[in-house]
Amino acid sequence: MTDTLFLFTLVAGTPVAVRASEIEAVVRLGEVVPIPLAPPHVRGLAALRSRVLTVIHMETQIFGKARGDAPAIFAIVAEIGGHSYAFCVDALSDICHAQGGVLPVQGRIDAAWAPFAGGLVEREGQSHLLLTLADFIAGSGSAARAA
Amino acid sequence: MIAARSKGGAARMDEILGEFIAETLETLEALSGEIVAWERDPTDRARLDAFFRFFHTVKGSCGFLNLPRFERLAHAAEDVLADIRRGTRTADPAMITAVLAVMDRIGMLARRAADAGLPDIPEAQDDALLDALHLASDGYEIFTPPPAAPPVSPPARQDMAQAPEPSMSASAQPVETALPDEERQPADAPRRASAPRSIRLPLALIDQLMNGISDMVLARNDLARRMRDHGADPELESSFERLSANVADLRDMISKTRMQRVDRLYAAIPRMVRDLTRDLGKKVRLELDGGDVEMDREMIEMVLDPLTHIVRNALDHGIETPGQRRAAGKDETGALHIVARQSGNQIVVEVADDGRGIDRAALVDKAVAARLCTAAEAAQMSDADRLALIFHPGLSTAREVTAVSGRGVGMDVVRANIEQIGGVIGIESLAGRGTTITLRVPLTLTIIPGLIIRSGAHFFAMPRGNVVELLHENSAMVAIERIGGAQVATIRGERYALIALEDVLRLDRVDTGTGPRTLMVIRSSVGRPYVLGVESVESNEELVIRPAPPAITAAGAFAGMTLPDNGQPMLLLDAAGIAQIAGLPLRETEGPLARPAAGPDEARDPTIQALMYREGDGRRRLMPLGVVDRVEDLPADRLVRTANGVYARIDDRLLPALNAPAAPAAGATLKALRLHDGHDQLCYLIDDVIDIIDAPARIDVPLGEPRLAGLVMVEDAQYEMIDPFAIFAEAARADAPDRARPVRCHIADPDDPWMRNILATLLVQAGYEVSIGPAPEGAPDIILRTDTGAPIAGAPAPVLTLSAAGRTDDAIYRYDRAGLMAAIAQATGRAA
Repeated sequence: MTDTLFLFTLVAGTPVAVRASEIEAVVRLGEVVPIPLAPPHVRGLAALRSRVLTVIHMETQIFGKARGDAPAIFAIVAEIGGHSYAFCVDALSDICHAQGGVLPVQGRIDAAWAPFAGGLVEREGQSHLLLTLADFIAGSGSAARAA
Repeated sequence: MIAARSKGGAARMDEILGEFIAETLETLEALSGEIVAWERDPTDRARLDAFFRFFHTVKGSCGFLNLPRFERLAHAAEDVLADIRRGTRTADPAMITAVLAVMDRIGMLARRAADAGLPDIPEAQDDALLDALHLASDGYEIFTPPPAAPPVSPPARQDMAQAPEPSMSASAQPVETALPDEERQPADAPRRASAPRSIRLPLALIDQLMNGISDMVLARNDLARRMRDHGADPELESSFERLSANVADLRDMISKTRMQRVDRLYAAIPRMVRDLTRDLGKKVRLELDGGDVEMDREMIEMVLDPLTHIVRNALDHGIETPGQRRAAGKDETGALHIVARQSGNQIVVEVADDGRGIDRAALVDKAVAARLCTAAEAAQMSDADRLALIFHPGLSTAREVTAVSGRGVGMDVVRANIEQIGGVIGIESLAGRGTTITLRVPLTLTIIPGLIIRSGAHFFAMPRGNVVELLHENSAMVAIERIGGAQVATIRGERYALIALEDVLRLDRVDTGTGPRTLMVIRSSVGRPYVLGVESVESNEELVIRPAPPAITAAGAFAGMTLPDNGQPMLLLDAAGIAQIAGLPLRETEGPLARPAAGPDEARDPTIQALMYREGDGRRRLMPLGVVDRVEDLPADRLVRTANGVYARIDDRLLPALNAPAAPAAGATLKALRLHDGHDQLCYLIDDVIDIIDAPARIDVPLGEPRLAGLVMVEDAQYEMIDPFAIFAEAARADAPDRARPVRCHIADPDDPWMRNILATLLVQAGYEVSIGPAPEGAPDIILRTDTGAPIAGAPAPVLTLSAAGRTDDAIYRYDRAGLMAAIAQATGRAA
């Protein structure tokens, strides 16, 4: 079942899972061109072959600001609403099946994560927060849009 | 039919049904343009036949598809039209209205069949329409019009586009409707026979093709950049060049598949005008021009609603009732003229009515009431400012909301729609004389020429269409002053707001010391032109524009993104958005560009482009630019003098060289215009090129000198315009002296003023050699005399007699120019 296929990676040091069906590719980002006047979680534009990706910094979207300023290296490429985005992640990722599927979130998670956590996905005994990429595009998180 | 059935299956049937619906709607759309013309002249056989064919086809297809309801409607209408064709019934307006109502109903049913979400129409309602068909001969309408059709652009129509076959042949294979001919025949054989060779393609496929080619252009640019960086060997480069050219060709071709004739935009208008004028009790004569202009299909869809709205406005608010028009001393039939034309990479659509014009006072009152401005401010406004108030939300001059145009959609929405696609809307209105609304929209959305702007480490693109002029900050033509925090740039007496790009984008201004900043005079779709100061303008490229995601466009400064040749993603600046962020006033719509001097006057007097040059004697003359192939330097020693005239040796060919100076200094370099008439070339020597200007196409004063067409007025000066025909004729004569030796005409009545002044001039202009005198000199080819003059005995050449009274057996009427020329040609045994 494709529904049990997830991408597992790290965002802001936290293990997360993203449904494989949302993902086009995982790439190594080249130069990111900053965008004036854009909200802080929109890091800039990156070229992937002949395409232009809008780079979204998930950590900034979650916490309102980036902790540390390490340049993003890896990113998940996804097409949402006709636009191509690159979502920065901390580490190289794996795609594999999680037979348990999506489980409800247990316990109280950090308020910053709460709006984004869609459930838990178990993999090799470790829980991963299930994220939906589209949630990170709009300024819906704790990151206030730059005026 | 058999082939279709043998394939069987509900899916196949659905496909045929889908095609039937799409085709029916398309035919309806095409026919709706004919309705008004047919109504004006119901006896017009060709149009009657077109309508008859439509119903006949629908009826035939319906029987096959088992759609009894369509069949019943189509059958009834077909019967009525058949009666008219046979002459047993006459068409009257009420009957035509009834037929149209049936057409509308068929259209509604077809849309409903394509989209089950539309409201159903009870079948019982059809009876009223059918009754109307049979009873409607009393000269009045006996039924109420059917409910308004759903908004234009029914889903079925949006999904299909006609594409010319040749350009699509390579990709036609995957299209499901590209069936072998014999399989298509059954459903629509009668129409296919005369239809142009074309296939149907889903629009999505064309869009995909376009996206694909855009990606290819970007990939090519990327490759070009890498090759530059790494240095490629010449062989690789030449292969790349070839690939590059192919990509460019392909892009052009695919762009063309997206083009549609503006006719499509016009299709619904005649019907709308007809229906509205009936409802409003007005009389309007509609003229549609420029239907053959082509524009991007997407643009047509985008312009359709604004145009519809403008036309509704013109009919509802602009054009008066016949009574009011009579009282105002106008023809009681109003005129609505819609014209489309291409102007550079823009399409201009003008909607002009001759109605009452826009009431400025009413607009100002409303604006004051809505607190948009104070009465004192309003008093200060220019007329253009007042007129532009109409684009403010909530302002409409109509005293009351009417069913026709007062639907809460105002000119502000129309403007927003036009600007959304990078267009500009302009308005001109004269009280009592009418209103002209001009829409300017780009030809296509996806690829535009742009300027690459640098700001520190950032690069941005600006659509070239927005840039009026580029200047350096320190140019002598520019004066910059700071007034109360604002900057004003005065360029050649015109004052503009000056804003710095870095300030708008909140970037640090970098002083790179690379020289003066660049000022760009920007004309945006809203507001006055302004000046944008940038660090520098780097280059000029064709840019493939991709929409930017909402997170980026939300800021308002960017219209899209692109990947230019340097491989660095770049944002496209939104000229109007920048003005808005900078807080520039948004009142005026077109600024100095809307000045009447540049507008209607130009439109009235057709102009041609002309090259202004200086003759050897310093005189300035004009040469129609159309015949000028190039300007070239010609070393004086390349000129060869022969008995037949002067020739210039160019690329091992000898070209006739006219106007050559008698004795050029040895070793001097002369300037020559290479003229081309499509077949022959010649050199025309000049002193220097001065400028390219727009000159009136009409000659003010014809001149007698053979090489000159006459005098034209350009601004306040008069210039002599060269007659290219005469020059080429001269060169041809020099080239082939025997064949083209001018006909020698002799005028035998030197005392007759008409012969001397008028005929001689005419003959000279026609390229003939003319001698005048009682006795022929030399060896004339023809002798011309008047019928009142002395007869000529023993003439050495044929004699042609001209009469002031009219044509007689042996004389030609002297103002019969064609007859005269023909007689001369015949008498001299060759064509003039």
